[in-house]
Amino acid sequence: MNRRQASRLKPAAPGPRAAAPPRTPLHASLRARREQHLYSLFSSLGRLAARPWATALTLAVLSLALAFPLLFWLLLDNARTLGGSVEDARAVSVFLKPNLGADAANALAARLRGRDDVAGVELKSPEQGMEEFRMQSGFAEALKVLHYNPLPAVLIVSPRVASGTDPAPALVAELGRDANVDLVQYDAQWRQRLGAILAVTQRGCALLAVLLGLAALLVVGNTVRLDIQGRGEEIAVMQLLGADNGFVRRPFLYSGFWYGAFSGVLSIVLIGIVEWALAAPVAQLVASYDRRFSVHGASAAVMLAVVAVSAALGWLGAWITASRHIALGQPR
Amino acid sequence: MIRFEHVSKRYSAGHEALAELSFELGAGEMAFVTGHSGAGKSTLLKLVALVERPTRGQVLVNGQNLGQVRRRRIPQLRRGIGMVFQDHRLLMDRSVFDNVALPLVIAGARREETAKRVRAALDKVGLLRREHEAPVTLSTGEQQRVGIARAIVVKPPVLIADEPTGNLDPQLSAEIMALFGEFQQVGTTVLIASHDLPLIKRLGKRVLVLDHGRLIDDYRPQR
Repeated sequence: MNRRQASRLKPAAPGPRAAAPPRTPLHASLRARREQHLYSLFSSLGRLAARPWATALTLAVLSLALAFPLLFWLLLDNARTLGGSVEDARAVSVFLKPNLGADAANALAARLRGRDDVAGVELKSPEQGMEEFRMQSGFAEALKVLHYNPLPAVLIVSPRVASGTDPAPALVAELGRDANVDLVQYDAQWRQRLGAILAVTQRGCALLAVLLGLAALLVVGNTVRLDIQGRGEEIAVMQLLGADNGFVRRPFLYSGFWYGAFSGVLSIVLIGIVEWALAAPVAQLVASYDRRFSVHGASAAVMLAVVAVSAALGWLGAWITASRHIALGQPR
Repeated sequence: MIRFEHVSKRYSAGHEALAELSFELGAGEMAFVTGHSGAGKSTLLKLVALVERPTRGQVLVNGQNLGQVRRRRIPQLRRGIGMVFQDHRLLMDRSVFDNVALPLVIAGARREETAKRVRAALDKVGLLRREHEAPVTLSTGEQQRVGIARAIVVKPPVLIADEPTGNLDPQLSAEIMALFGEFQQVGTTVLIASHDLPLIKRLGKRVLVLDHGRLIDDYRPQR
């Protein structure tokens, strides 16, 4: 393949052949190349347009193959940002006994700050907790009914993380034994589990994307193979008229490129339709959670990347097939 | 311009198409290859265009020993040889103009240049006004003339034709052959395989007669 490419890059007509025209200047050779590429570009588009139904069917299959991984990726990406919105993942929430006074709480906080394995401690008084609860949960009306504040004081302890080790479990165990402490909640545990679930799903999604990408490659390859077989006579004539493999192959490569690019655009349209169909129920869901999270669609950069990748896949699929199937009709 | 030196061609099936064939055709010369079907006429032309390679011997075209032409140089070699086929082999989904333009497109010629030369070639074969039509709308003789225009549009030094009048009536055949004669007069080397002996005799050109792959006669007209 390298040798072939190298031969295509050379300017035309070197060699000591009597029939050869004088060595073509580089700019003329580049111009010739441009003319040939323009020719291939438009003739490949013409070929696609000449068989609208077959082309539409191929594009539909390809765009579905591309849309599925993209959809899963979007879901995952949203799930990840949801998980990420829980900040202080490593923070340990220490709920103190309800009857503990503010002084005792401060003293405990000060003692914890002195520890080596603690990076910081934040004390939330019952009043602060109540205020937060009122702001976030939408129970403001209901809370008015309460005559007293049932919330305990809370210490948000950030463990000092040495590289590679997690000191939190020991700290958590020790805090749990403290007489002033009612309950220790370590967020990192469920965060880790969520992370693991997301990682598994992500890997699955990547595998699916690879498989469907392969399927796209095969679909383009097969379409191009049929096209090459249907144009056997044309290819033979072109070869007899002096077309090299690159020239014969080029329109098929452009076909592959167009298949890829168009189906990429189509898959984005599909995603757009899905997003549109889900917009209303998702908005309701977000509203019911007091808009504490948001959902995003595919960004412009992602869309561009999808089109670029699918165009490249189409080109590659066509290249593999065309390189295999053209080159007949030449003596060894 | 075309030289065969002790050329033999044996196909893999064991059938010997050409045996010990030697002849030389000068620049600007016109010759016919004739003989019964299966005598090796087509094989001879295929060796000139490097569609086949000889089993033994050497073929030289335009000073180039074809045995030394590497596979990926073949396309370039063919661009210097105009080829006309019995069944014209036009691309039916393209206009007359596009068919004739094909060798120029393959060579990467400039578009204005292409248009100019295609029209000149079509004018030469008398089909300038049919350039936008599809080949199917033309008669068999006209289609063959388009095939000839396609072969000469790059002004190749060598023109070969395999039974170019095989499907035509005598009147059209004579016209086509006269057309080939005109290309010879402007310096093109022309080699035509044909079994139309009466027509060949009337034209008074050199005739190579093949029989079972052997050259049995090399008739040169007296000037």
